Amino acid sequence: MGNLFTSLNSTSQSLQAFEQAMDVVQNNVTNANSPGYADQVPEMISQDFQAGTGLSGGVQETTQDTRNSYADTAVQQSMSLQGMYQQLQTSLEPLESVFDVSSSSPIPSALNQLFQSFSQWSSQPSNASYQSAVINAAQQTATAFQQAAGELNSIQTQTTSDIQSTVTQINQDAATIQSYNVQIARNPTPDAGLSAQLESTLENLSSLTNVTTIPGLGGMVTVLIGGQTPLVIGTQVNDLQAVNDTTSNAGNPGAPPTISIVDSNGNDITGQVTSGSLAGLLNVSNTMLPALIGGGQQVGGLNTLAQGLADSINNVLAQASTTSTPPYQAGSPLFTYNSSSPAGIAGSLAVSSTITGSLLAAADTGPPVVANGAALTLAGLDSSNPGPIDGQGFTQYFSSMTSAVGNAVSNANTAETAQSQLVAQAQSLQQQVSGVSLDEEAVRLVQLQGSYDAASKVVTEINQTLQTLMEMIPTD
Amino acid sequence: MERTTEYGDAHECLQAARQSMRQVKRLLAQPSAEAADESAALLRDVEIQLGCVAALLRQNGSKPDLEFRSGIEELQDEVAVLARFFAEADKLFSGWLHAIRARRGGYTERGQAEPLVLVKKLSVEG
Repeated sequence: MGNLFTSLNSTSQSLQAFEQAMDVVQNNVTNANSPGYADQVPEMISQDFQAGTGLSGGVQETTQDTRNSYADTAVQQSMSLQGMYQQLQTSLEPLESVFDVSSSSPIPSALNQLFQSFSQWSSQPSNASYQSAVINAAQQTATAFQQAAGELNSIQTQTTSDIQSTVTQINQDAATIQSYNVQIARNPTPDAGLSAQLESTLENLSSLTNVTTIPGLGGMVTVLIGGQTPLVIGTQVNDLQAVNDTTSNAGNPGAPPTISIVDSNGNDITGQVTSGSLAGLLNVSNTMLPALIGGGQQVGGLNTLAQGLADSINNVLAQASTTSTPPYQAGSPLFTYNSSSPAGIAGSLAVSSTITGSLLAAADTGPPVVANGAALTLAGLDSSNPGPIDGQGFTQYFSSMTSAVGNAVSNANTAETAQSQLVAQAQSLQQQVSGVSLDEEAVRLVQLQGSYDAASKVVTEINQTLQTLMEMIPTD
Repeated sequence: MERTTEYGDAHECLQAARQSMRQVKRLLAQPSAEAADESAALLRDVEIQLGCVAALLRQNGSKPDLEFRSGIEELQDEVAVLARFFAEADKLFSGWLHAIRARRGGYTERGQAEPLVLVKKLSVEG
């Protein structure tokens, strides 16, 4: 009888095991499209039949999570880089409208009109309508600089606001992960649904900043930023904060301070944020925008250009005379700006309120005296060699700034396009790893790597051919 | 796969190269060794097509127009994307292989992942 009962018990346990396995399959089917869900593989383990020790034979079902930590990490890292490039694309796009080299763009157009008006004025220095045209063109130039400065300041304000909201999102994700850890601590039984939610949150967090995930006991996770600073440890969260580094702009009045990311202990961890949208925003806010409009210790290219333009023109006018015969009368400055705030020069550039046509000095007192000498100097100022700003003319200097912005936008576009494909690849590999033997996966990867390597070499050769073709095409 | 190509002028060659490049981008959307091999073959076609462009320009001595230049620039942008894609994909695959090697064979005494032996085991009898 003992054998009969043991056999019945064994059969009953086997049925339960298969029923559990079917539940797992059902769960997989239901969650096939759930973000972050990894297949659960039912594993049947045969039990020893030892009636004497109470082991009853049959099979026991244990659920094996196919989540592969490398696959998840690869997806997270790819998403982190994609997040950064997408953010750069978004943040740099408005800069392109400010730094547009086309002739219809406000600054190049205004500069062109200003130097044309100098040229026209040099033909008849005492002509009142030509003098008036110079003042009008100067007014348009000042307005163009003010507008550009205003737009850049508005982009800076928006970027600062975006940094704050991104840090808030990071803290929210950290709190969500912490709550998962609390649930896991209370009930350490593997839960595929919870694991999927956790992975989904980690992927979202990865797109915001670069995180490293370390699996812990029972499925709890430790999340580090930059591999060093803890964001979540077990059931504890280390909230981040975006703060203005008030020491960064010391000695540069009017310049916005750089933004630092600090942890809950006040440690500056900005250098550890290397990818994700937060890194993209910090790059725009602390590096790209200060190079253009000033910030931290930088005066900014637009301010350098505005000051260089105003000073060069005012100097020529100050050394010239309103009359070509004695007594000579020094000219008045055409432009004014707030020199106490170097980072605000472009925004404060204006036409002098006291200037009138008759105060514009056209004569070079020489010797020899040239009645339109100063006006001619002003007309040729933009094309003089070497130019007045770092050896460049004003239009050329603006073009180099435009080119730098254009390159940054182009690099962000290229990187984002490539990274989007890589995210798709990483996600595809993540999905395919379930149920595939590691050996088969390795063989497939080696084949894929070899094929990609071959294609990559051809790409290098194509690039050289394209370069040759570009050299064959005249630029004019 | 053998491809026969005859092009009348440089514009036609450039158009064909851009068409091939579009096919490459479509193929690479899904990772597979077959797609990568086919992409490599198409890229070789692109190389030949661009070689034809250069040869025809030299032979005819014609000056390419602005549209032609912008076509070349667009191709350059696409090649830059591809180059970056392959470089990053290489890192991704290397990382995967490292992870598989470590999981399959563990680590060497120097802390590196054990080499992966992918040949089938043979047993000889008799």
